[in-house]
Amino acid sequence: MRPYLLLLGLAVAPSLWAAGPAQFIAEYSAQAGAGFTADAARGKAFAGKNWGVSEKLSSCTACHTENPRNPGRHAVTGKTIQPLSPAVNPERFSDPAKVEKWFKRNCKEVVGRACSPAEKADFIQFVAGAQ
Amino acid sequence: MERVLVWDWPTRIGHWLMALAFLVAYLTGESEEWRLVHVWAGGALAGLVAFRLFWGLVGTRHARFADFVRAPKAAWHYLTGLAGGRAEHYTGHNPAGAYAILALLGLGLAAAATGWPTYQDIGGEWLEELHEGVVNAMLAVVVVHLAGVLVGSLAHRENLPRAMVTGLKLGRRDEAIAGAALWAVPLLLVLALSCAWWLSL
Repeated sequence: MRPYLLLLGLAVAPSLWAAGPAQFIAEYSAQAGAGFTADAARGKAFAGKNWGVSEKLSSCTACHTENPRNPGRHAVTGKTIQPLSPAVNPERFSDPAKVEKWFKRNCKEVVGRACSPAEKADFIQFVAGAQ
Repeated sequence: MERVLVWDWPTRIGHWLMALAFLVAYLTGESEEWRLVHVWAGGALAGLVAFRLFWGLVGTRHARFADFVRAPKAAWHYLTGLAGGRAEHYTGHNPAGAYAILALLGLGLAAAATGWPTYQDIGGEWLEELHEGVVNAMLAVVVVHLAGVLVGSLAHRENLPRAMVTGLKLGRRDEAIAGAALWAVPLLLVLALSCAWWLSL
């Protein structure tokens, strides 16, 4: 019995805790539908767009800066925000629950609605590939 | 029994300010736009809780923990009495309410202890999750507390929320407190404001 459980655990575990940006892009792209390909340029435009919803939190870049490799600065509190880039900050895009939690909160406040899977895939493509 | 002064000023003002601070902090918890308001409210709540702990040791008669915290058996006895329609009347806090108070004060401190490091970005995601768990537990105790106040008010035909405003509650004349300790209110406010300011830095 035990070896089977171990094998099952090994098969399931990586998808739960060893997720990286590539898995998130693949997952959100799949949700976006057939024929969708994540695009970093679209993601960059999305991140810099002023949504006109919140004055201080007008865009993703208002806090996270235009370069995901740089630390950000909270536009309301002035607190430093760790870089979004998983190349610089390996904690980013590693935990599905955390990724979904922050997309949910920040999209609601900055974009004024939930982000679509396509937008999420583009955004991560941009952030993960930033040089 | 007649209406006598039971709750002093710092107990009453502290109570309503804690309720307000918790409400504001809870409602602004998930918003970055309101993040400063959230940490101010949470910081103020920490200061108010600290004052209440201090006041529970040195405050007027019915505000002291030694006056109203009793063995769990007493709380159970009170609750079963309440369910059977023959609740004993307590001039101060009833023994079941006492446990709600202790739980709220403890969870209030835990909320600050997990919230402040999260705001300073030194706790990590797990501490933030713990903070959310703590405040949701706190909300649950608030709901139980409100239900207890409603049931207690009906059972004793006594408007308990109003008593927390006026300080007057049914009791014997010899159970009344001598003064309303208005002098301690500035101390309460200074502590709340200092914590709100200092914990939001």
